[in-house]
Amino acid sequence: MIQTNKLKKSFKSYKKKPGFLGSIQSLYKRDYITKDAVADFDLDIPEGQIVGLLGPNGAGKTTLMKMFTGIIVPTSGEINILGHRPSDREKSFRKKIALVMGQKSQLWWDIPAMDSFLLLQKYYEISKDDFDEKIEHMSELLGVKELLHIHVRKLSLGERMKMELMASLIHSPEIIFLDEPTIGLDLVAQENIRNFIKDYHRKNNCTIILTSHYMADVQELCSKIVLILNGKKAYDGDIQDFEKLLGHEKRVSFSFKNPISNDDKYFEQYTPEWAEGRMQVELLIPEEQLRSVSSKVITNYEVEDFNTEVLPIEKVMKTLILNPEILSADK
Amino acid sequence: MLTSNANISKWVQTIKISWSQLTAYRVNFFLQVIGPSLVFFFIKYNLWSSIYSSQSGLIIQGYNFSQMIHYHAWSLVVSLIAGGYASHNLAEDIRMGRISSYLIYPFNFWEFHTASFISFQLLQTFISMITIAFIFSIGIFHNLSFMALIYGYLFCFLVSLMWFTLQYMTGILAFWLEETWILRVILQIMAAFLSGAILPLELYPSWLVKVLDFTPFPYLSYYPIKVFSGEISPFSGAPLIIIFWIVTFALINRFIWSRGMKLYTAAGM
Repeated sequence: MIQTNKLKKSFKSYKKKPGFLGSIQSLYKRDYITKDAVADFDLDIPEGQIVGLLGPNGAGKTTLMKMFTGIIVPTSGEINILGHRPSDREKSFRKKIALVMGQKSQLWWDIPAMDSFLLLQKYYEISKDDFDEKIEHMSELLGVKELLHIHVRKLSLGERMKMELMASLIHSPEIIFLDEPTIGLDLVAQENIRNFIKDYHRKNNCTIILTSHYMADVQELCSKIVLILNGKKAYDGDIQDFEKLLGHEKRVSFSFKNPISNDDKYFEQYTPEWAEGRMQVELLIPEEQLRSVSSKVITNYEVEDFNTEVLPIEKVMKTLILNPEILSADK
Repeated sequence: MLTSNANISKWVQTIKISWSQLTAYRVNFFLQVIGPSLVFFFIKYNLWSSIYSSQSGLIIQGYNFSQMIHYHAWSLVVSLIAGGYASHNLAEDIRMGRISSYLIYPFNFWEFHTASFISFQLLQTFISMITIAFIFSIGIFHNLSFMALIYGYLFCFLVSLMWFTLQYMTGILAFWLEETWILRVILQIMAAFLSGAILPLELYPSWLVKVLDFTPFPYLSYYPIKVFSGEISPFSGAPLIIIFWIVTFALINRFIWSRGMKLYTAAGM
């Protein structure tokens, strides 16, 4: 489906000294620096999955997406997507893929979304019946039926994003690349988009490559995760295994009515982190003891509130971005 | 057959879309495209009428006052159909990184912008017809001939294609230049002087006119004006020179595009 072999992309840029003299100098003398945005990248993504491409800003996610879609050409290495080399930009390849960029509109700004869709219908050679059915169905699902004939520039960000999604799905692509499709959207809009993608994937069984900084997106949608740190693949596997990367402990926090005395040593075995003058504690409890320890704390102490983390992968991501050596130590 | 039909409908739909884009901002369109031509015409009208009023019966290089106005009225029409297209949209697409979309859609950048140009040209043809009818109704065009009109339009379409390829070139230089409008302004000013849009070429030294004949410029105004007013036949060396320039510009554009694409796809812009 998607395979890469020793994929590499390096960018050349030059250093410019500050100020006017620096500008003059850079006209005739330039010190170039070459930086690898992506290096040694081997990947094999099977059909029909939703894969999350994760990593901090500047890790190389967008560079990868651009190479996958043929927008930029790799410096070295190979990519094979559905039997095509993306950088050849064959029209038959372009008809099989779609790219949605949350940060960049692909719809024509000055005309209603419907006009853009009609144009894409012709570009992708879709029959009228097929097209009408798809638009009807998708606009119904996304709740944008009334907005199809409004100029795109007058739509809100959330509405526009829905239109962008529709535009990318008109030709039933086999692979969909979603580059931060929920960026800048409010929580409800994010959820709408997520549900739509989930639903669409279930019905059409396409392959989706997703990047997002919102772990809720990833948790909800992805079955596999590929983590990129500094242009290199740092993790590639199932999302469940990713959550357990930091160990098999659960984080649970308790708030108490009264401060816990310093003499009480019960919590010490669970590496407690105290807060609010020992009125709050966060414990690291081994998975299999979660029930027994929690009930013990609740019965023995005056607990006002307790919770366990909702998004474990957010914690894993944060820890890995701050301490990438954890992964290499593992190997 | 099927594929060529599908291809035609891609073009037709793009032309339709561009049409609605062009007419989306009517005031803007008028100010940008028609406005300057009209203003330019009225400035010239005032200039020449004050020159000719200084001495009655004045004839400048064979032009009396009414012939001079006749010339500039045609110049107004020609400016609408031969050299109205500007490539700022195209440069914008490159500068804003929007060509990524064209690399993904199964319809190419040049195809999209050529279709936009055709759409623009259709709109301008329509506007020019109204203009001709209006100028005729106020009595400046006395001897309109049907054949001269047909020849004039055909000639202008050929010229507009040359102007388009030249504008396209300034547009795709956006791969290297931050702002390309300055190039278009330079081109516009050179064209205004060297094409005969300000002064009929008879007023220039004859050696200069001989040289200019080999450049694209006189075909932007002087020649089409003469074809429209029935003074010269379109069947001369002129179309050959225009075609030569179209092919030359198109080849240069292809080269610039492929260099630019290398830059773009290597740097990701």
